[in-house]
Parts: sequence; structure tokens; C-alpha cells
Amino acid sequence: MFRLTLRNLLHKKIRFAFTTGIVVIGVTFVVGVFALTDSIRSSFDDLASDIESGIDLTVRVPLQIGDELDRVRVPQEVADRVAAVPGVARVDGRIVARNTSVIDDNGEPIAPRGPPTLGSSWFPTQFFVVDGRPPDGPDEFAINSKAATAHDLVVGNTYDISGPNEQRSFRLVGIYNFGDPDKDKSLAASAVAFDTATAQEFLNGGEGFNEVSVAIEPGADRATVQQAVADVVGSEYEVVDQSAKIEETQADFGQFISIFGNVLLAFALIGVFVSAFIINNVFQIVLGQRVRELGLLRAIGATGRQVSRSVIGEAALVGFLSTVIGLVAGLGLARLLRIMLKSGGFALPDGPIGLRPRTVVFAVVVGMGVTLVSSILPALRARRISPMAALSDTAKLAKGSLATRARIGGLMVSIGAVLLGLGLFGGFDTKPLLFFISVGAIMVFIGTTVLSPVSASQVARHIGWPLQKVFGVPGKLARENAARSPRRTSSTAGALMIGLALVSMAGVVGQSIKETFAGTIDNSVRADYFIQSASGGFDPNVGFSAEVVDRLAALPELDLIVGYRFGLDSIDVNGSTKNVFTTDFAAGVSHMDPDVLSGSIADADPLGSILLHKDPARDLQVTVGDTLVVGFPDGEVEALTVAAIYADSTIYDNYVIDNAMWDRHFNRSELMFATATISGYSDSLPDDEKTALLASSAAAIEKVTDSYPTVTVENRVQFRETQQARLDSFLIVISVFLGLALFIALVGISITLALSVFERTREIGLLRAVGLTRRQLRRSVRWEAAIVSVFGALLGVALGLIFGIAAAIAIPDTAIKSVAIPWRNLVIYVIVAAVAGLIAAILPARRAAKMNILEAIATE
Amino acid sequence: MSLLTTNPTATDLVAARAINLTKIYGRGDTEVRALDGIDVEFHQGQFTAIMGPSGSGKSTLMHCLAGLDRITSGSIVIGGTDLTALNERRLTLLRRDRIGFVFQAFNLVPTLTALENITLPMDLAGTKPDPAWLDTVIDTVGLRDRMTHRPSELSGGQQQRVAVARALAGRPELIFADEPTGNLDSTTGAEILSFMRRAVREMEQTIIMVTHDPVAASYADRVVFLVDGTIVDDLVDPTADSVLDAMKRLGN
Repeated sequence: MFRLTLRNLLHKKIRFAFTTGIVVIGVTFVVGVFALTDSIRSSFDDLASDIESGIDLTVRVPLQIGDELDRVRVPQEVADRVAAVPGVARVDGRIVARNTSVIDDNGEPIAPRGPPTLGSSWFPTQFFVVDGRPPDGPDEFAINSKAATAHDLVVGNTYDISGPNEQRSFRLVGIYNFGDPDKDKSLAASAVAFDTATAQEFLNGGEGFNEVSVAIEPGADRATVQQAVADVVGSEYEVVDQSAKIEETQADFGQFISIFGNVLLAFALIGVFVSAFIINNVFQIVLGQRVRELGLLRAIGATGRQVSRSVIGEAALVGFLSTVIGLVAGLGLARLLRIMLKSGGFALPDGPIGLRPRTVVFAVVVGMGVTLVSSILPALRARRISPMAALSDTAKLAKGSLATRARIGGLMVSIGAVLLGLGLFGGFDTKPLLFFISVGAIMVFIGTTVLSPVSASQVARHIGWPLQKVFGVPGKLARENAARSPRRTSSTAGALMIGLALVSMAGVVGQSIKETFAGTIDNSVRADYFIQSASGGFDPNVGFSAEVVDRLAALPELDLIVGYRFGLDSIDVNGSTKNVFTTDFAAGVSHMDPDVLSGSIADADPLGSILLHKDPARDLQVTVGDTLVVGFPDGEVEALTVAAIYADSTIYDNYVIDNAMWDRHFNRSELMFATATISGYSDSLPDDEKTALLASSAAAIEKVTDSYPTVTVENRVQFRETQQARLDSFLIVISVFLGLALFIALVGISITLALSVFERTREIGLLRAVGLTRRQLRRSVRWEAAIVSVFGALLGVALGLIFGIAAAIAIPDTAIKSVAIPWRNLVIYVIVAAVAGLIAAILPARRAAKMNILEAIATE
Repeated sequence: MSLLTTNPTATDLVAARAINLTKIYGRGDTEVRALDGIDVEFHQGQFTAIMGPSGSGKSTLMHCLAGLDRITSGSIVIGGTDLTALNERRLTLLRRDRIGFVFQAFNLVPTLTALENITLPMDLAGTKPDPAWLDTVIDTVGLRDRMTHRPSELSGGQQQRVAVARALAGRPELIFADEPTGNLDSTTGAEILSFMRRAVREMEQTIIMVTHDPVAASYADRVVFLVDGTIVDDLVDPTADSVLDAMKRLGN
């Protein structure tokens, strides 16, 4: 019996290749993602050790919340005390800052697009000079070799460097490798280094060190020295050893890798899910073609179990082979992905790419699992094939009742819809709301899948109606063929449905975010100019030196200028960590109106107040005048008065403090963005005056910003456009990833059609015999594919619309206030699906047209 | 039954027996009595033909006797086993181990070679064929040099000979043949029929064949005539002429 299974596969080589191919795609992606993330993880783990090499102990101020760079600084005096501890060989005060960009010879800043631009003091144990010498003096710097090579920086030349506080000229005196004497392992876009005093003054505004690293004397006992240092510095500081710091660094990297890996994995699993649909479909069709053969086996004595086992055995072989190929191909894909991601601006280390046991296990689960699960239903049906099937000319598989399907599917969709409705309009808290919405969405999805064969015939006839009108007989054939086997039509379309549902959902969410943003700019933003980092946008880790704002504020053409900062997970409110946004209370409202519901922002005390969005205010049960206890990264706790509660959180987020309060508790001084208003400008002025004011102010601003290439200044119209373009490109990236699912779906349509054509050989022969031309035949096959595709696309877009609206309602007001639907895109999706269906049908159509009429008619 | 059959030693042993066999298709207005209370015995070592016009129930009778189709009432006994008492699985095993089949068409699994098709029932049972017997069978079919070929590479007659060889290979108690020459030209058909007769004479096999061709029936030891689901005539040692005569009588 096993021999029969094997023979069946070898006999149908093309079918075998196709089914294997589809599973291979899924397995390849899963393996590729795992292999890549494993490789990145192990490289990062190595890197973490490299970073800490030569540092036995680190002295620093403990940090509960906020950014690593927000640690309270260690003063020189503490470093001196540590240096005097017996057993300590060497003490280096370390200074590190982000947003320190070198401006190259073309006037372009070395801009971070993901990886940071770092500035630091010289680390003798990690920096290895390859050209020149370490920086020594207030006007010298060194840079890592990767950045120097990439931007043609030459030792001896002078460059402008934009730091977190100001921009200044330095001479390049050295180029170094980071972490390894032979290879620059830095992952930063650039890493510039100064001597300690210069770094302190230029990066830290003259204050202490971010941390103090200690090397102990050879032979000294680390634990003893660690204890001695701890005793000297006192409980205000913590002393951690090398292994603890390596673990910390690895954990930081690990978090990034997990997010990154999970996103990729999600796309890979979507691909696997789609291929499961197609494989199931192929198995069903193939089984239908083999009914007589299986009937014969049953007649001469194969038990039902033997027949179903042979069907499952075939699936297992396909799964096994796909797994093996997928494992190999996955390693290749991991390399390819790494190259793609690196060229897309991700800083990824080049480590060896290999298979870990977990990857292999997962590949087997996916590859074998998908095929085996897909073969269970066909196998059960094969088991029920009667031996009489061998004797009948028109043997067919028994079909389940469509009425049962309609009942079950209808019930699931209804329950799902009720849950969705409850979640969206029931006024529940966040957690039950998400539960209702997600369970409801899944029920609606599965229900639709169950239900779709019930309506497939009807819908396919409707979709095909115009074709019949336009193309006559070929159109009618296409229409009837698409309608004749509703199960096949709907499962073929099902693969496409998933992909399009996801794309449409992303489209609705994206459009809603865009319109919310546009609405905010139009309604709440009164500022005329927006100043932000040339590369960063709204990345909380990317900023620019506040110096620019000071220079701009001095311009007579500009009226008010307000800087904004954002701290991710940086304050503690009632025991939970929150993001914090900053503005100038006095001027901020005139630039950005967050729609104040109660209280007043302009009158709030900058050093004693906090502003709240209405949602957290409701959750915390506070109103204007109440006191909130807020903890900061420097360990201080303040009781702040709620000065105002506002309704629009798109820009202000949930918690707002004044810049003065930020300066009191945070080390980082760079701004995330700033806004400015034009002196004497008002929307009520005549147009020509407005134009003149805009032109004169733009010219004045340009004069300043020309020498600060790290920032860009945009007026309201430009700002709105660039922000929307940013969202658009994000949506395009998602669509490209989901394109994988669509590609698999189209391969599925192609295979299914090829099998259907094969099945209808006799009928096609007959049609050709009575006068259907080759051209008409090809056309009918192609349009059948188009009908099936449009059916899948319509279902997908409808589901995507429902899910997208549900998601848009569930997403907090910060991002989406009102639901917007990208109708034009949705229509385009359906048209693209139809065209793709036509393309997928080219080969099957050609094959059908090539059939010899006489042989076709004589086929059993 | 006064006339002696060609194999007198086996006449008392019954290979298959139907008792008051009734098979009804459909229900109510569309009810069709395909078999209407048939009582018949088939003897071991005999080549029996079942004849009748189309719709007479001859194929249904064979399918029921072979355990391929369920009966409505009555009973069928194969070599002492009552089929009506068997569940689906036991029925399958009975077909596999004790019955051989030759169909009109689509007899062979297209992906297996001729030899693999012949040994398929044994492979399904997980038993080894008796090599000496297999040799005899292959020599008798005369296709030794064709054993590694696929069905698509064999002529219709060769395919049918492989099918007969498969039926013989497991030494079943009983072989059912359903219009085995229906798809063949008369020369090839005659070849298959004489081959089947030799299997009965020389290898002591028992064959029950359904046919509507009087010439094919004339190769049998006995012909049973069916009309409208009942047995109307029973002819021993038929010739083509006597079969034709019987058919003419029935036609009137």
C-alpha cells in the first residue's frame, strides 16, 4: 500500500511539485524568520560581551523608570573615590549621548534611520584605533570606521557635529574599530568620540558621567573589590559586575529582536494559513479524480482504513519533502531577508546563519502539520468511498449538505456579529472590549469560510452576468463553471479572501489614522511652522539640539516658538509606568489646542502641574484641582496638581508636563519637535499679505536652518503632506508583506484551475468538437478564474472592512478618533484581484486549448 | 438436474448461494425491485454465466453476491459464510481473501505495473503470494515479458488478462467477472474467455460471469437467465445457439 502511495505521487509529478511547492513556501518563510532572528540574537549576544570587555565593575545611579540616558549622573568626586579603592586598576568615567550627528563634506548629516547616532567619551578598552590617534583636546573627535568609510570622512579635516545641546566644529583625528581590533562591530549609524572633558562639556552640559567603569587589578578578587567599591560610594549608587551588565544589554537587544521576529513570524504564519487552504483544496480535487481508482481498491479488498491511510500517507510524504526543502531554502531566505532589511536601514550584524533544533521542530510542525491536517477531511471522505464506485461511470464523492453548512455558518456569523456589536457599542472597559472584538472577529471569519460555499454559486453567477452579456458563450461557460462546484470555488477564493481581508483591514486602519492626523492638523494645530529632526519624524529617541530653537526664537519674523519632548515609559503614575509629553504651558495652547474640557493650560504652574487626557482622568478618577503623585527617572517624586483635562490626545498623548519640569528631572535636553508662529500672521488676513508673511518668514528661517542640516522646517501644508506620506509608506510595507499571501493564493487559483480543466477533459473535447474555438476556450477558462478571484476579493474586502472598522474603533483615540474608509483602494484591490486571476489562468487556459479533440472525447 | 457437469467431484459443494434475495432501489413511487426473491446456487469448480437483457438485474445480482452492494432482504452465503451477518470491515476482508474480481473496464490501478497490480490484493492483506502459483498464473496469462509495464502501455486485451491474473493470484474461492469482454473486440474477447475456461478446468477455479453476449455465455458450463429480477431459465452446457434460442424464448 505504501508503494501505491509513492507511485501515485511520482505518477503525478506536476501536481506533486505544485503541492510541495506551496508548502515549501510556508516552511521556508517560517525557517527563514527563525534562522535570521537566531543569528541576530547570537550576534547581539556576542556584541553584548564585546561591549563590556575590559570592564569588571560599573558604578551608576539606580534607575527604576525611563531611558538609560536619564540616569542621574555620577560626579567626578565619586569616580575619584572609587579610583582610590585597593584592587582598582583603572577608572573611566563614561559619557554617552544620542543624536550626535556629524555633518559630512556634502553638508549632509549622518542621519539615523533606525540605528542611532551616538556621541561618547573615549572608551580605551573598546575602541581600537585603525587610523590617527584618540581625540585629545576640546576641538578633536574620532569616529568609528564603518561611518567614516560610508561618508568618506578624512582624518585631519574639520566637520560640524550637531550634539544634543548645540552644534560645533571639531577636527577628525582618529578612526577606530568598535569592540574588535580587526572589525568595526558598531551597530550605530555613527559613533563619535571625544576626550572625557570635551564629551562632558559638549554632550552632558558639563555634568558628571552617565556611569563609571572600573577595571580591577589582575589577581584581585572581584567580589571583594566590588564590596569595597560599594562601601566607598554608598547606597546612593549601585555597583554591578560585568556578567550582570552583559545580561542587561542582551535583554535590551532581546526585546528588540523579539518584536522584530514576531512581526516577521506573523507574516510567515499568514502565508502558512493561506497555503493550508490551497493544499486542502488540491487534496479534495485530486481525491475526486481518484474515486474510481479508490473504489477499485475497495472492491478488491482494501479496507476503508487502508484507503484513508494511503491518502494521509501521500500528504505525509508531501509534508516531509516540503519540510526538508523548506529547511534548506529557509537558510537562503534568512540571508536574503538580512540583505533586504540592511538595505532598508536596519542595523543587523553579519553572523553565521544556522538551524537550531527548535527551528527544525517548528518547520516539521508547520510542514507536516499543514499537509496532514489538510488531508484529514479528504482522507475521511476517501474512507467512505463505496466499492461500487469502481463500477460506475460517473462516480462522485459524497458531499456534505449545504443546508447544514448554512445553519452552522449562519449561527457562527450571527454570534460573531453580536459579540462584535457588544464589544464596539457595549461601553465596556478595554479588556472585555478587546475580548469581545477579537472573539467576535474570529467567529465572523470562520463562519464566513463555512458559509461561503452556500452562496458561491449565486454570487459567481451574479459576478459572471456581465461576462455572458459581453462575451456570449465563453462568458456563459466561465460563469457556469465558476458556479458549478461551489465548494471548490469558495475554497479557492478563500485563500485570496484571507490576504485581501488583511490588506483591507490595514487599509481601513491606516486611512483612519491618516484622517485623524489630518483632522488634528486642520482643527487643533495653529502653529505655522514645524521643526523636527531631518531624519526622525516622531521617533521618541530621535531629536535635535535645542540650540536651533533658541536661534529661531531670536528671529523677529517669528512670534512664539515652543519645543516638545516625549519620554517613553518615563514617569510613574499610581504605580504604573506611563509615557510623558512636554510643552510650554504658557505658549503651547496657542500652537496646539488639545481641546481642553476643564481647567486651563495657559494659567497652569509649570513646576507644579500636570495635564491629563480625559481617559486616564476617568480611570484615575481625578478632576481639575486634584493632586497626582508622579515619580521621575531621577528617583524624585512630586505631587502635581491636575491643571486641565483635555479631549484630543493625538499629539499631546495622555500625560503632559511643562518643559521646565522635564529639565528638572531628565538629563536629555534634545527636542522631539518644535512649532513656531509667524509674527502678525492670522488666517483672517488678506491672501497677498499672508503669502508675503509666509515668504519673508520662510527666508528668515532658512538662513538659520541652512547651517543646521539635522533639522527640517515645514509649514503646515508641507508638514501634513510629509506625515501622510510617512504613513503611506508604512502601509505599502505591510502590503508588500501581505503580497506573499496573495501570491500563494494566486498559485492556488492556477493549480485548482489546471486540475478542473483536466477533470473536464471530455467535456472540453465535446465543446471543441461542436465548434468552440481555442481562443473562446482560453477565454472561458481565464474569465472563470477572474470570477473566482473577484468572489474571493469581495469576501475579503467585506471582512477586511468589518475588521478594520472594529479595529479602528478599538484603537485608542490617540491614534484614531474617527473611522475612515479608503473606498478607492478597496475598489482597486478587487480589480487587482480580477486581473491577477486572469494572469493565474493563462497557463491552465493554454493547456486546455492544446488538448486534442478526439483524445479528449475518448477520455474516461 | 439430471445432466452431469464437467467436474462431477465438485458438484455437491456450493460456492455461493442466494436465498429469497431481494434488492429494492428507491422508495414509494420511484421504487424499483431490481431483484425479486431470487433463490440460486453456484457450484464450485464451475463456470457460470448470468444473462439477461439490460435492466434485468444481472449486474445487481453479481454485486450483491460479491458483497459489493447491500441487499434489502433474504440472504447470501459464500462458502458457508452468511454475508448479511458481516459488517463492512469483515465484508471487505472477505472480498480481499476469498473473492476475485474482473470488471468490464478500469480494472487496473494506473500507477502500478502489471505485476504489482496482480499482487495488489496480497499486498493489501500484507501476505506474500505463493511464488509457484504466481508463476503458473503468469505463464497461463502469457504476459511474462510485460510484467514491468504500466496499464497504459498494455493493449485492452492484455489489460484484461492482467485483471484475470490478479483475480486468480490469490486463489480465491470464487471469481466474479462483470462483462469482462464488453470493451474488447471479438478475437481478444474469445482469448480471454477461453483463458477463463481453462482456469476453471485446469486450475479448479469457480467463476461467475455476468454478460449479455450469447457467444461469451457459451464458454460457460451453465447459464442462468434473469428477467425483471427473477430467474427465468437455467441452461447447462450451453452453446451459442442454445443460448440464443433461450433468449428468443424469453423475448416472446
